[in-house]
Amino acid sequence: MRRIIRRREIVEDELRYAGEPAVDGSVGVVGAAEWLAASAAGAASAPEAVLLTATDEVEALAGHLDGLRWIVIEFAKIGEGRGYSQARLLRQRYCYRHELRARGALKRDQMILLARCGFDAFELDPAEDLSAALAALGTFTVAYQDGNEALVSLRRRA
Amino acid sequence: MYRYDSIDQTLVEERVAQFRDQTQRFLAGSLSEEEFRPLRLRNGLYVQRFAPMLRVAIPYGLLSSRQLRMLGSIARRYDRGYGHFTTRQNIQYNWLRLEQVPDLLADLATVEMHAIQTSGNCIRNITSDHLAGVVPDEIADPRPYCELIRQWATLHPEFSYLPRKFKIAVTASARDRAASEVHDVGVHLKRDADGALGYEILAGGGLGRTPIIGQVIRDFLPQAELLGYLEAILRVYNRHGRRDNIHKARIKILVRTLGVQEFRRQVEQEFEANREFAPQLSEVEVARMRAFFEPPPYERLENLPEAGRAGAQVGALAPFQAWYRYNTTSHRVSGYRVVFVSLKKHGEAPGDITAAQMEALADLADRYSFGMLRATHDQNLVLADVPQRALRELWQALEVLELATPNIGTLTDMICCPGLDFCSLANAGSIPIAKQIHARFDDLDYLYDLGPIEVKMSGCMNACGHHHIGHIGILGVDKHGKEWYQITIGGSSAAPAALGEVIGPSVPKEAVADTIAKLLEVYLEERQDEHERFLDTVRRIGVEPFQERVYETDHSPA
Repeated sequence: MRRIIRRREIVEDELRYAGEPAVDGSVGVVGAAEWLAASAAGAASAPEAVLLTATDEVEALAGHLDGLRWIVIEFAKIGEGRGYSQARLLRQRYCYRHELRARGALKRDQMILLARCGFDAFELDPAEDLSAALAALGTFTVAYQDGNEALVSLRRRA
Repeated sequence: MYRYDSIDQTLVEERVAQFRDQTQRFLAGSLSEEEFRPLRLRNGLYVQRFAPMLRVAIPYGLLSSRQLRMLGSIARRYDRGYGHFTTRQNIQYNWLRLEQVPDLLADLATVEMHAIQTSGNCIRNITSDHLAGVVPDEIADPRPYCELIRQWATLHPEFSYLPRKFKIAVTASARDRAASEVHDVGVHLKRDADGALGYEILAGGGLGRTPIIGQVIRDFLPQAELLGYLEAILRVYNRHGRRDNIHKARIKILVRTLGVQEFRRQVEQEFEANREFAPQLSEVEVARMRAFFEPPPYERLENLPEAGRAGAQVGALAPFQAWYRYNTTSHRVSGYRVVFVSLKKHGEAPGDITAAQMEALADLADRYSFGMLRATHDQNLVLADVPQRALRELWQALEVLELATPNIGTLTDMICCPGLDFCSLANAGSIPIAKQIHARFDDLDYLYDLGPIEVKMSGCMNACGHHHIGHIGILGVDKHGKEWYQITIGGSSAAPAALGEVIGPSVPKEAVADTIAKLLEVYLEERQDEHERFLDTVRRIGVEPFQERVYETDHSPA
């Protein structure tokens, strides 16, 4: 089973993406369009996990977030940066409180910034060493910006 | 200047440790070249033609003597004994060994310096007016605002993987000495009708292969809102800037595609929507920052009458007099003068400086200018606060160091990228052209007669040498494996900024100086009087007379 980092722990993943075999207790993830269609048809039947790509507009999810327990944002390559803004909007403007996961071509180096944008779960490049990645979350103890991680923010020193 | 507290110092040291780990993982093979590239780039490390190149940040160009000494020491210990000042007020080292770079960065951190975000698709060094604080024509000192932006931009979690690089320039003078109109964002300090401080904000300027002058997107932004507004611009850009084509990924393309009105609408909408979360600059915070940039303890001095004339001779300018006229300028405080240290000596690559020169210059800064220096975007250095009575002594010392070439603002004070000699992007050499021009135009009296003229040279269309905004711009192009040069005239970085116009087909390498000579002939014939600058003549008569002269005899334009 796939292992991920969630809230500073290495855990086994319960999410099941399209094409992956169903396992007991696993939760299927659907794309944004499918999720919005299901959500429009009736909140009770809508899936609880959605996968956003870099071009999905988070504004479209606004107002439908209550039934969601997982939002996964896909990073197709290391340089992909739109997910950082998507995360901040979901956390700040749209007050999304459940799991926000970064998935894709990501290493510990990106994870530090992702966490500060509000991601609390990380499905990294399979080649990445998860223990080392977890330790890397402690690389910085200070930051110049307010963020979701409990760092000393310089902006509060004035 | 700004001094680090324990938070700044901790952040820089933690960045060094992170980069050390990243470098070790790459050297051990656990990071591929493709994975390491964006990590090393955002810490200023390029892989060049011969060796890794490291660009060290000099925030808004301001340096202490202690820092300059360290830059010299680094050149000596890690490089081949010299460094190269860039067109964005930074310094580059061209001959490093990758495995030593983490140690170099640790040394830099001991003098409150770093290489964070000097490259890569992130917010780059904040540049500003190299005469900030010493000229009478500014609204307020721009440097406190530069430092506030620098801190906000450093390791910004949301804006570290932008579509492309992002450059911000801040200026507080109507005479824009920071080329702010050709930056992704230009911040102009401004006062409203009630005298309250704020900013005019420009966006969408840039050079490169699609040069565009930035446009005003906010006439007046209150002081407190600066970072919130920048955050709105960056967020619109980060979400909607193109990522499918590296040549269309700068914010200027987004602004042009949307149109400035629609871009402005989106930014304003984002700005409003984000108010609750946007950082605010309190008066207390601005005052705290301003305190770092208080003027040095000037003595009460009288302006020396005819300060430059001491020892003058009749006729052609005496060396000191020439230096005084070209390499110094007036200061807002009586009894002081601003001194330019020319890094444009004949035979040297523009912007290059040796370790010994850096160390000696640091001593001169301590002795004559409160221990401070500035790097200019045209690749010289400045000692900003020199007592007039010490000018002759300082000049003699600079002469010995070969840093007193009296050519500031003249044709041979050209700016120039590293070009084919170092850069893996370049199509053609830049430094050899600079040398060719120096050799051809070595007669100072002729240069002085030509008056102020800005020559800017880039070895490829990425335009690191800002050729589009040179009064004379030179762009290296590759034609079937040979180096050719396209010439533009009429560009300017000073407000109002203008892009130069191409005079015609590119010329072969050996013909560049001859071509410039023809342009200058036309200028000297056509100018109304000696006060009409080359740029003004071009603006008045257009490019045709210049074209006719350059191409009248067919020397094989292709």
